[in-house]
Amino acid sequence: MTDSILQVRNLMIGYEKALTPALNFSVGPGEILVVVGESGCGKSTLLSTLAGVNPPLSGEILLGGRNLSGVPIHKRNIGLVFQEPLLFPHLSLIDNIGYALRASGESHSAARIRATELLDWVGLGEIAGQKTWQLSGGQAGRVALARAIAAKPAVLLLDEPYSALDPETRLRLLSDVKNLVTSEGIPTIHVTHDRSEADLLATSTLTW
Amino acid sequence: MLAQHLPRGLKWLWVIPALLFFTFLIYPLIKLAATAWNAEMLRQLTDSTLWQVALLACGQATLSVGLALFVGIPIARVLFTYQFRGRGFILALVTVPFVLPTVVVALGFRSMFGDAIPNGLMLVVLAHAYVNIAVVIRLVGAQWATLDPRMEVTAATLGANPFRVFTSITLPALRNSIVLAASVVFIFSFSSLGIVVVLGDGSSTRTLEQVLLRSTSVLLDFPAAFAAAILQLVVVSLVFVISSRISRNEPRAKIVLERKQISGRKTILSASLTCLVAVIVVLSPIASILWSSISSSEGLTLQWWSDLFSTQNTRIGSPIDALVRSLSLALGTAVISAILGGAIAIAVMSKKGFVVTLALIPLGISAVTLGLGILLAFSRGSLDLRGTGALIPITHALIAVPIVVAVATPSLRNVDPRRYFVALSLGAAPMRAWWTAFGTVFGGVMLAAGGLASAVSLGEFGAATLLTRTDAPTVPVQIARLLGKPGESEFATAAVLSVILIIISMTLLLIVDRIATRKVFT
Repeated sequence: MTDSILQVRNLMIGYEKALTPALNFSVGPGEILVVVGESGCGKSTLLSTLAGVNPPLSGEILLGGRNLSGVPIHKRNIGLVFQEPLLFPHLSLIDNIGYALRASGESHSAARIRATELLDWVGLGEIAGQKTWQLSGGQAGRVALARAIAAKPAVLLLDEPYSALDPETRLRLLSDVKNLVTSEGIPTIHVTHDRSEADLLATSTLTW
Repeated sequence: MLAQHLPRGLKWLWVIPALLFFTFLIYPLIKLAATAWNAEMLRQLTDSTLWQVALLACGQATLSVGLALFVGIPIARVLFTYQFRGRGFILALVTVPFVLPTVVVALGFRSMFGDAIPNGLMLVVLAHAYVNIAVVIRLVGAQWATLDPRMEVTAATLGANPFRVFTSITLPALRNSIVLAASVVFIFSFSSLGIVVVLGDGSSTRTLEQVLLRSTSVLLDFPAAFAAAILQLVVVSLVFVISSRISRNEPRAKIVLERKQISGRKTILSASLTCLVAVIVVLSPIASILWSSISSSEGLTLQWWSDLFSTQNTRIGSPIDALVRSLSLALGTAVISAILGGAIAIAVMSKKGFVVTLALIPLGISAVTLGLGILLAFSRGSLDLRGTGALIPITHALIAVPIVVAVATPSLRNVDPRRYFVALSLGAAPMRAWWTAFGTVFGGVMLAAGGLASAVSLGEFGAATLLTRTDAPTVPVQIARLLGKPGESEFATAAVLSVILIIISMTLLLIVDRIATRKVFT
C-alpha cells in the first residue's frame, strides 16, 4: 500500500462556506507535504476532510487512483495523528499500538510482536508496562505515532502533533517522524503554523 | 461531527428514551390535565386556602435557605480553600444528609429532639437545612476553590478589615453559586413532603405537595390536586427565572486553585471548630436513629432488630416484606435507569438535545404529580399496568433521570470524541471504534445511573405513597406509617428500618462515587 499516491483535485473544504480556494496537490511515497498557515485558515479541516471526518464541499480525493468519495473513515487506510496523542486509556501501550492490526484481523500475538517492535523503534521498549497516563507528553506522542503507522497506512496525516510540547522535545519527535515516514515510505501530510517545521520536514509545502 | 459518524446501530437508539418519555411522562401529564382541567379546578386555583399554603411554604422555604446558607458557607470555606488531613473524609461526611431518605432524616430529628421541640415550623426548617447543607457546601465551595486568594489580600492591603473583605470581595465573587444553591434549597423545601408529613404540625408547615397528596389519596379530589400541582410548578419556574436573572452572566472559572496548607493558630482553631460543628451536626440525627434502634425505656436492647425478623405486625404490614419489596423495586428501577441512562448518553452524542430536555422535565414536576399522572394513565382498560409491578420502578426511574443526566453529561464531555476518529482511522469498524473510545465511560454511566436511581428509589416517599397498595408499602412509606402511630415498638421498628436504609443507600452511593470519580484519562 505504501506506493499509493494521494491526489487531490479541485478540493474545496469548509463547513458552510469554503475555507480555502480549490486545492490541487499530490503526495507520493516517502514525501512529506507540509501545509503551513495561520490558525483558523482550514489546515485541520483539510486533514479531517482527507480522513473522511468532514465531507468536502466539492472536488475529488484519490488514493492510488481510487476516488474516496463516500468511503467511510475506517475503510480509507489513512492514519491520523491529532495535536494531542489521544491514546486509548483502558488499553496498554502495546495494545494501543497493535490496535489497527487487531482491527484488520491480525491475531493478538502477531499484533503484539509488531507493536513491541515499534515500541522499541520509538525508543520506549523499556516502559512497555506503563499505563498511558503515566507517560510524559513526548512519550505519549511517540506512542501515538507508532500506533498510526503500525498497520502501514497508505497516507499519514499529522495535525500539528507535539505543538503542546516544549521546543526541544518537539524537534526531536519531528526528526523521528521524518526518519520513520522516509524509511517506511509513507506519504505524509503535516500541518503546522510554524515555518521552521516546514524547513525541517518538507519535501514540498502548501500554503493558501 | 460525531453525530454523523455514529455506528448505524446506535444512531437511532435515542428513540428508546424519547418513546419512554412520551409514554410515561408526557402522556400521563396530558391525561392528568385532561382529567382535572375543568371549572372546579380553576375555582380551586383561585381559592385563598391554596394560596395561603403556598405563601406559608414560601416563608418556610426562605427560613430553610437562610439557615442552610448560614451553616453551609463557613464549612464550604474551610473545606474548599484549605488543605488539611481528613478534609476528604469531612467533605464526604457532610454530603451524607443530602442522600438520606427524607423520612429517615425526619425520624432522626424526631428521635434527637424528642419532646424538647414539638412538631412544627422550627423542626421542619432545621431538617430542611440539615438535608441541604451539602448543596450549599458543594456548590459554593466549588466556586470558592476557583477564587484567587490574592484578591482578598489586595483588598486587605487597601485597608479593608476581614469583615469588609468578606462582604465586599468574597461574597460578590461567590454570588452565582450562592444564588444557585439558594434556589435549589428553596425548591427542595418548598415542595418537601416526607419531612413535613413526619415533622410538620399540619397547618403552618403544610406544602402544596402535601395538599396534592391528601387531595389525591384521601379526598380523591383531582381538580384540587391539579390546582396545587399547577401552583407548585408556577412557583418552581418563577424561582428558576428569578435565580437566572440574579446570577451574573460571567464565564465560569475552570481553574481550580491549589488549596493552601492550613497554618496560623487562629485559622487552625476556627477551621477545627467549624469542622467539629459540621461533624456533630451531620452525625447527631444519624447517631440518634442508631441509638433508638438499640435502646428501649429499659436500657440497651437488640429486641427491635430480632423482632424485625420474627414478628408480623398486622397493623402496618411486615417490615421485612417492605424491605424485600423496596429492594426489588430499587432493582427494577436500577435496570430501567441503566438502560435509560445509556440511551440518554447516546442521545447526547447524537445531538438529540430534546431528549435531554425531556429528561429534565421531572425536575419541575413533583413526585406525587408524576405518580398521579401515571396512576391515571395506566390504571384502566388495556393500559392497566397496576398488576405488573412496573409503575413504581418506572416512576422512580423518571424521578431519578435528571440526576442521571447530571452525572452522565459531564462524564461524556470529558471524553475526547476524536478518539473515536482515531480508532476509525486505524481501521476499526464503527461499533468497535465507538466501544474503544466510549465503552469505559458508557459502562460507567450505566452503572452510575443504575446505582443512583436505586438509591433514589429506596428513599422515595411521595410517589410510592400514591402507587403502593395499602397492604404492600415500601420502606419509607412504612416508616412514615410507623411514626404516625404511638408506641415505643413502632418508633424503634422505624429506627431499625431507617438504619438499614441508611446502610444500603450509603453503600450504593459509595459505589457510584467510586465509579463517577474514577480518574478520567486524557
